Amino acid sequence: MRLQTKLALFSAASKVIVLLLLILGLPKLVNTVALHNADARLQLKEEKMYQIIEDQGIESFITEEDGNAYGSYNLFREEFISLEEINSGKVVNSIENSLRKVENEVVRYRVLSSTFDLGGKRYLLEIGRSLATIENNSKTLQKYALYVLAAVVLLTVFTDLAFSKILLRPLNLIMKRLQRVEHPSSFTPKKLNTTTQDFLYLNDTINSMMGQIQEAFQKEKEFIGNVSHELLTPVSILQNRLENLLADPETPESQLEKLVDNLRTLHRLKNIIQALLLVSRIENEQYLRNESVDIPQLAQEVAEEIKERAEAREVSLEVDLKGDFTLGKANQSLLFTMFFNVVNNAIKYNKPEGTITLTGRSLPTGYELCVTDTGVGIPAENLPHIFSRFKRLHAPDGESHGLGLTIVKTIATFHQIDLSVESVLGQGSTFRFRFPA
Amino acid sequence: MHILIVEDETGLATELMHFLAQEHYVCDWASNGREASEKVAVNRYDFILLDLGLPDYDGLDLLKEIKSTDYDPAIIILTARGALEDRIKGLGLGADDYLPKPFSLLELQARMQAVLRRKFKLQSSSVMFHGFEMDSSSRRVMHGHHEIVLTKKEFDILHYLLLHKNRILTRLQLTEHIWGNILEDDYDSNYIDVHIKNLRKKLSTYASTDWLETVRGVGYRIAI
Repeated sequence: MRLQTKLALFSAASKVIVLLLLILGLPKLVNTVALHNADARLQLKEEKMYQIIEDQGIESFITEEDGNAYGSYNLFREEFISLEEINSGKVVNSIENSLRKVENEVVRYRVLSSTFDLGGKRYLLEIGRSLATIENNSKTLQKYALYVLAAVVLLTVFTDLAFSKILLRPLNLIMKRLQRVEHPSSFTPKKLNTTTQDFLYLNDTINSMMGQIQEAFQKEKEFIGNVSHELLTPVSILQNRLENLLADPETPESQLEKLVDNLRTLHRLKNIIQALLLVSRIENEQYLRNESVDIPQLAQEVAEEIKERAEAREVSLEVDLKGDFTLGKANQSLLFTMFFNVVNNAIKYNKPEGTITLTGRSLPTGYELCVTDTGVGIPAENLPHIFSRFKRLHAPDGESHGLGLTIVKTIATFHQIDLSVESVLGQGSTFRFRFPA
Repeated sequence: MHILIVEDETGLATELMHFLAQEHYVCDWASNGREASEKVAVNRYDFILLDLGLPDYDGLDLLKEIKSTDYDPAIIILTARGALEDRIKGLGLGADDYLPKPFSLLELQARMQAVLRRKFKLQSSSVMFHGFEMDSSSRRVMHGHHEIVLTKKEFDILHYLLLHKNRILTRLQLTEHIWGNILEDDYDSNYIDVHIKNLRKKLSTYASTDWLETVRGVGYRIAI
């Protein structure tokens, strides 16, 4: 999962959790606030009431005829005020919920009760507000609070998304650059335009590491070039000198065979050097992969090229290539060498009157090409080592340098071809090439 | 035919000159770029064998210099460095062929002949030998009006032996000529013997093949 996706998911999840907690806790909170508000209002009214009593005198509320009590309701019984003379010596000053019967109807009120003394008499003042009204207000408040919260959460989720996208842009840029690089040698260091220290560090590190790899590659390339020149030049002189000697009429006939032997030995030396150079050059990415190669057709060409060798060894070569497959970004001559070496091995290690089958078929994941022989086979304990350099595990002659299969493996790896070998001792081997689609 | 050999290795130049002189070519030798540049300016060569790895000159620069002369010599690049871009650049700059060292002198001569034929558009590509006729451009071998059908390898072997007639060619030289572009684990001379056997069988239907000689322990030779 990408970092940006993770960040977005995390931000959204944390906000949803906060929202849920608020939804659960909000009614209690809002109720408390509403109640607190209501209490404050009651107290305010209480003070106003005292003010009026002080200004107008208690007589304007309480007279003997009324039975020493005053009561007033508003129309919907949302509030009431009562004032009466009491005999109890108890001093009351409280706010609490209580039930009151008003015109034959019981209503729940928040009631402020307060006693005061005036003119030697004690009075009880009660101011009430219906709880239904308070709760109603609180519900409305809750509803709006929820709307606002949801809007805020949504807004912050989107701003988080946008911000993380902007913040992570340099990282995405680094990733895109790296994805385009198929090999360190084709990497070009670039500056990163950001103020984020971490990304700058990452970019600089990648640039310098790639630079080091490129330098190592360049050095190896020069080394290969020098080795090639220094080793092949003397071989070249020797070969041409021996060739001239061979053609020289003054060379006694008895010496000719010795010259041929020398040429053979020299050829062996040349072959080893060239095989090692080939492997190194492929690993050093000196070969281009700029051709599209029709694999079944190439296999067919190899079979044509090599069939006379099979005939000479009395080995029959059967070709069964089905399906079409073109490998893009390939090197035709390297692939030719790869197939040639494998089929040539199959001829070399086959039994007389044996068979070699070259089968190709399309796979959902690409293409598969198998070279199966009826030869001596490879012992199971040797199978893991057959592609290693200089392992001459089953060479029947002394001239093979044992790099043939190393070359095959190197070319396969260079093209990202999956190469595997199965073998039954005494029955034969199968080399299986799987080409990626 | 006037040839310039540009080669800083004395040993190699000596062998090249020896071989080419035997083949009746007139040879000059330049052991560095400066010398080569002078010689190219003064003389008119038909053929230049150019080693790219020179002590004082970039071989590719010298190649450009040669291409800018008013005469148009055939050029074969010889190099032991074997860098692939050299090959591509060299051919791109107008070299006619490219031969990586070490090469067989016989291969060099075959390439030189091919380059000359291509460059000067030689019409006659037919060779007569012992009653047979080989046409190397149509790749056909005839005896009178009868065509002898040869495989590609058989034709190449016969062609190479004919090109170097009266010379012993080892099995290795023949192998390198017909399989040379493929790097193999080892070489098996038996394949050449099988091809020669088949060649003799096909040709002897029409005439004797005594002229295709086996030199015991050494190789094969066509005597004319």
